[in-house]
Amino acid sequence: MSKAIKNLILCHPKDNVATASSPLNTGTLLSLTEQKTIVAKEQIPFGHKIALQKIRKGGPVIKYGERIGRTIREIKPGEWVHIHNVVGERGRGKGRKKG
Amino acid sequence: MRLRIEKMNFLGYKRLDGKVGVRNHVLIIPSVACANEICNAIALKMKGTVSIPHQHGCAQLAFDAEQTARTLIGVGKNPNVAAVLVIGLGCEVVNSSMVASKIAESGKPVKNLVIQEAGGSPKTIKEGIKIAKALVSYASKLKREKAKPDSLILGVECGGSDACSGLAANPALGVTSDLLIKEGGTIILSETTESIGAEHILARRAINKKVREKIFEIIKRTEMRALNLGLDIGKANPAPGNYEGGITTLEEKSLGCVMKGGSTKVMGVVEYSEIPTKKGLVLMDTPGHDAESMTGLIAGGTQIIAFTTGRGNPLGSPIAPVIKIASNSYLYSKMKDNMDINAGEIVTGKKTIQEVGESIYREVFRVANGKLTKSEICGHREFAINRIGPSF
Repeated sequence: MSKAIKNLILCHPKDNVATASSPLNTGTLLSLTEQKTIVAKEQIPFGHKIALQKIRKGGPVIKYGERIGRTIREIKPGEWVHIHNVVGERGRGKGRKKG
Repeated sequence: MRLRIEKMNFLGYKRLDGKVGVRNHVLIIPSVACANEICNAIALKMKGTVSIPHQHGCAQLAFDAEQTARTLIGVGKNPNVAAVLVIGLGCEVVNSSMVASKIAESGKPVKNLVIQEAGGSPKTIKEGIKIAKALVSYASKLKREKAKPDSLILGVECGGSDACSGLAANPALGVTSDLLIKEGGTIILSETTESIGAEHILARRAINKKVREKIFEIIKRTEMRALNLGLDIGKANPAPGNYEGGITTLEEKSLGCVMKGGSTKVMGVVEYSEIPTKKGLVLMDTPGHDAESMTGLIAGGTQIIAFTTGRGNPLGSPIAPVIKIASNSYLYSKMKDNMDINAGEIVTGKKTIQEVGESIYREVFRVANGKLTKSEICGHREFAINRIGPSF
């Protein structure tokens, strides 16, 4: 088990994701507060996001205190949050119109 | 937020229209693509000149030709330009003598040549060199004089963003924006595509209802352009490198992007290449394409551009110094030849957003005084006019 280290950036208290300020290995223990910790469930590259709490399927991903997209499956705390499990909701046409 | 910093002034070139340049270029403008190589040949030969080759100026629909003309006229009027030579072919839509006479309204020396009248390429080049010699001689006699920060228009741009752009470089540049606006200067925030998902933040800060409505209008217009085609903006923006750098959605990119403008009221919204009449924070409707966005900014009168990047972007401008701000220390050391400032120390906790914002502000004035940026030293002069219609 790795030690609890400070290597996350949390932009806003409302956020349900944080950014890795250095690459995180699987099993890294991260202290959010003195009481609350999470464990990285997988490798998180530098600058990428980790879930701080469970986010239900279709639920909002919050960064900067704002909605940045929705999940396409349930995300567990400590999971890598990126294009494999999140989609944006703006400027996305659903296929070229016919006729 | 603490906004205490020493008073800054600079030495600039005072133009007849009251504007102040931080550079003193003689600009050679092709009014149509047909004149590109002739303009390049003259600029290659004559010290102190720069040409701006482009693909437009003919076979364009009225609204598109108008945008090309507005851009060329705006770049010619930019205070970083001391004098102008406009070269046309003679049968083009964007007529060179019209472009020349509009630029001349600013009071600077402007000359015009027409290839079909001059009798072909070698004769136009020969005549152009003679004119350029006189214009460079004129420009070289102009002296820098003391000028105040309220004469500065700083364009704020981001390109090749990563997740650190929104966490470090962009908020730091936002501090710079607030500092310059406090001194009476102007900030132009562009890249409408990269405001999609963050428009409510800008709209909340609109000075009045009209500006608020205009913010929503330009964002809706951009978003609908993709939706009407049934296409996903996400395939073009964010770009592959943005995703690799940790940006997941356009909304996330946008929320980081708009931080460059700082925290003050939005005083106005202008069209692509339009010169703002308001000071303070102004939005310009440009695409996220950086070369096109920066071309719009310089046509709008921007003398200096501050450009944040996380993946590493070398772009420059033919007439404006571009200050490159790295969002992470890895990029700063890897591409040091292109980077002017490192905001990566915010991510590692060595510096605060405020400290880096102040150092960008001081760098703006060093550059205004004549210090060359890395983009200038490396010879970057990218120029691209935004196209809004097809060729015919």
